[in-house]
Amino acid sequence: MFIAIRDLTYARGRFLLMGIVVSLVSFLVIMLSGLSAGLVKANISGLMALPATHIAFEYTDHPGYRNTMVERYMWEGWVGQAGVKRVEPMGHTVFNARSAADQPLEIALWGLMPDSIIEPMVTRGEQLGELENGVIISGGLADEGIEVGDMITLDRVLTELVVVGIMEEVRTIGHVPIIYAPLRKWQEATYGPPGGPPPGESLPDIVFDFVSVIMLQLEEGTAIEALDDQNETLTLDRLKFYSASTGYDAEVQSVQLIQWLLFVISAVVIGAFFSIWTIQRTNEIGLVKALGASNGYLVRDSLSQAFFLVGAGTLVGMGLAIWLGIAAEGSEMPFMLETSTLITAMAALMVAGMIGAGMSVNRITSIDPIIALGRVQ
Amino acid sequence: MSKSLTTEHVTLILGDGASEVTALDDVCFEIDAGEMVAVLGPSGAGKSSLLAVCGGLRTPTSGRISIDGVDINQASGSERTKIRRERIGFVFQQSNLVPSLTSVDQLLLLVHLRGRRPGATDRERAMRLLDEVGIADKANRRPGELSGGERQRVGIARAFMSEPKILLVDEPTSMLDRNRGRQIVELLARECHEHSVATLMVTHDHSILDLADRVLEISDGRLAEATTIDTAVNA
Repeated sequence: MFIAIRDLTYARGRFLLMGIVVSLVSFLVIMLSGLSAGLVKANISGLMALPATHIAFEYTDHPGYRNTMVERYMWEGWVGQAGVKRVEPMGHTVFNARSAADQPLEIALWGLMPDSIIEPMVTRGEQLGELENGVIISGGLADEGIEVGDMITLDRVLTELVVVGIMEEVRTIGHVPIIYAPLRKWQEATYGPPGGPPPGESLPDIVFDFVSVIMLQLEEGTAIEALDDQNETLTLDRLKFYSASTGYDAEVQSVQLIQWLLFVISAVVIGAFFSIWTIQRTNEIGLVKALGASNGYLVRDSLSQAFFLVGAGTLVGMGLAIWLGIAAEGSEMPFMLETSTLITAMAALMVAGMIGAGMSVNRITSIDPIIALGRVQ
Repeated sequence: MSKSLTTEHVTLILGDGASEVTALDDVCFEIDAGEMVAVLGPSGAGKSSLLAVCGGLRTPTSGRISIDGVDINQASGSERTKIRRERIGFVFQQSNLVPSLTSVDQLLLLVHLRGRRPGATDRERAMRLLDEVGIADKANRRPGELSGGERQRVGIARAFMSEPKILLVDEPTSMLDRNRGRQIVELLARECHEHSVATLMVTHDHSILDLADRVLEISDGRLAEATTIDTAVNA
């Protein structure tokens, strides 16, 4: 690092400019990581919070929460099988609704079994069970100003729901906030006639034989395929049941694509910088070789310089991103930073940068020390 | 006493086919430790080629070169690099310093190239060498802050830093005016005798030949003892 360190101060203008570029790229990468994690959370936080290892859908080639209908025999077929620890039928329907203040809402109504382990712990109000149309709302809706005791009316079916409990955390599916309701109420709203059953009558039993999906807790090595065949279901593990949420894959992939592009851009920019820097130093490198420097010495010197530049630039950009990210975390912007994402992003950026710097290694080793004699041979 | 630099029947052919040029043609000479030999010749006569083969920067087509008893033709690329690092001092035309290093760091770089972190004794030695060439007060200046003559002096001090067996000097006066050029060669001659280093200096400057112990003439790649030295000096 004898020359590398002195170059850094000697050509500080050039290195500062390059450092700023690396910082900005690193800043963008971290912001995008936070945004991507935030988007994921905004999309599927309801699914992420599920205490499920798997979710079973009605058998189909294209599983999705909006087009699955699971019948009683299907979920009952899972109960008591080897490796199956818990089976909970669950309803999911997206409704347009109105609050008591006549505010239009888009909500995902989830129907839960009594005493379901899916039911979130409320931070205000009560759990489900007391009222047959009592529901728990999650963070997103609570922010709209809806309170315990408020009425929410589903459009078209005109089912009236009463908020009995609120949990502060945001719980969504496909960016739509979730309302947790008793399964029977959900079945009424989803499969019953508008306005509910005629006075004095109840809905036919068959309405209560259908749900959307089956939440499963399975042990390792459960014969999933055999049980799927037997019960006409399609069972997905956690990663795949996230993907079944509308738009999830596309969102994650587009943000990841941008991230990959940024890594490539930083590799190319750093590569270009070090190529030009090496070309500018051609005479100097030839001279030092003539004085007896080995290729290894010069390559180590140059790579250590790159490592310093990329490392410092990444750290600065990262610091800036964390600082702004903390400011953004409380806002509307979906943003979430985790240590693991930070470390991964930093490592990837360092690797990309060093690959870029590595592109000039060949240029260094191929310089002929004879140029120190100053005349073309 | 053994010769510090010996060349035996060294021939260097550059290019191939129609563009083949014999840059050095059966060159034989020897230089003793502490002896300064000037090689005089017009441009294109083979002066640079001579430095290149003696410095291990080019492998001759045939013949043998030994430095302090070590045959550098037999050495591999990395061994030649090591020989350059440990046995050869270079004084380049235009001084050729690393732009980002101060004068004293130019010298300490050679210590670092040998795989050692320069210590206090190295620094003392570097300062003593800079003092010998008369620019100790510019030890912390970078090349951009030095005049041509000062840069050349740093280059000379650097050449002695690694205690070389031979010193290869390339046109030391070409970038300097007559007075300064002469001062530089006087300095070189003094250092060469003081440090007892075999010195090969190529030049086309007749006015400094009287400072050399011996003068050889090169033309069309052939080397010969100069017979016309007196005329040369007066020219």
